[in-house]
Amino acid sequence: MAAAEWGALMAAAQSGHGGAYRRLLGEIRPWLLRYYARRLPPSCVDDAVQEAMIAIHTKRATFDPARPFGPWLAAIARYKWIDRLRAMKRTAADALPEDIAVGDHETAVTSASVLTALLATLKTPQATVIRLVKLDGLSIEEAAAATGQSPSLVKVNIHRGLARLTARLAALPDAGSEPVPDHG
Amino acid sequence: MADNADALIDSLAAGLTPVRYRTATRDALAFAALAVVEVTAYLALRGMRPDMPAAMGEMAFWWKAVSLLVLAVIGVATAIAALDPARSPRRGLRALAGAAAVTVAVGWGVDAARGGSADLIARLDWRHGIDCIAFVVGCALPALAALAILMRRGAATDPRGAATAAGAAAAAWGGVVFTLDCPHDDPLYIAVWFGIAIVIVMGIARIALPRLTRW
Repeated sequence: MAAAEWGALMAAAQSGHGGAYRRLLGEIRPWLLRYYARRLPPSCVDDAVQEAMIAIHTKRATFDPARPFGPWLAAIARYKWIDRLRAMKRTAADALPEDIAVGDHETAVTSASVLTALLATLKTPQATVIRLVKLDGLSIEEAAAATGQSPSLVKVNIHRGLARLTARLAALPDAGSEPVPDHG
Repeated sequence: MADNADALIDSLAAGLTPVRYRTATRDALAFAALAVVEVTAYLALRGMRPDMPAAMGEMAFWWKAVSLLVLAVIGVATAIAALDPARSPRRGLRALAGAAAVTVAVGWGVDAARGGSADLIARLDWRHGIDCIAFVVGCALPALAALAILMRRGAATDPRGAATAAGAAAAAWGGVVFTLDCPHDDPLYIAVWFGIAIVIVMGIARIALPRLTRW
């Protein structure tokens, strides 16, 4: 499925064609899953995909069928990605459920490759605690014990690190953008 | 999770209604229509400054009117372009900052050419200056409301940038409307009081619009 065909399906959806729309969303979903799996902790991926699909739905009138569909989809996915990272900052101090990443541990640790690369641009204490708490699923106290930082410093470093990350991403329009999807 | 996703897709597809896709041209025409309505309403309510024919012979009057119009046009173009999720307002904002700098520099030149040495305080005429701020801000609000509505319908992926452009556009447009009636043509006076008004409207836009248009 070429991105151009997705554009044609969206144009049909804009005219009210429910069948074309259902097919389009069904084909976009795996692309979104891959997109967020590389950029978010596993526990956030499904929610991010759903939010992106709702955003695509509510903002479908902003797609101009005369223009390519790929960059439009990638821009919405990226906007919701940054939104998610900001939300992670707000919940930085929340205790995470015990079952996070269980059953798919290898993917959990290695999948968010874009996020991992971005973390490398932060100060080491910030990157370390974000990786431990947000990607590996440790509690604030466990991360504090592992790094020697106090629990409140862990929270501050997560908050500041994520704030820095989202500010940097928002200021760079093309940073981390996924290639235009040629295949669904 | 796949079941949830299927349920979501089903509900979105079942509730699908036809939409008319937005284009920058359509948004620009909607804004232009509002601009015509606002100018007409302003002329009906307050009329033009009485010395308009004489003022039109002054370089300073044209500096004020044309500079504000250029800023408004760049601002509106930038704000509307930013409502496309795949477009960034940053280049437009840089152009806007450049145009504002040129405006001030040309104003300084126009001012220097006058050779006047009147007292600075008298020239600034702060009592009228505060009125000017209120009028420019007031005239900017309809344009700001219109741009906020367009922004809600659009999908700005740089909401702060789009809001800043919308604020600059609305403020400059408010200045253009007030030019019909404002009796002051002193570049120093315009730079100070219109400048303050523009900063106020941009501040309002920057704070309020991203919250009002969040998606």
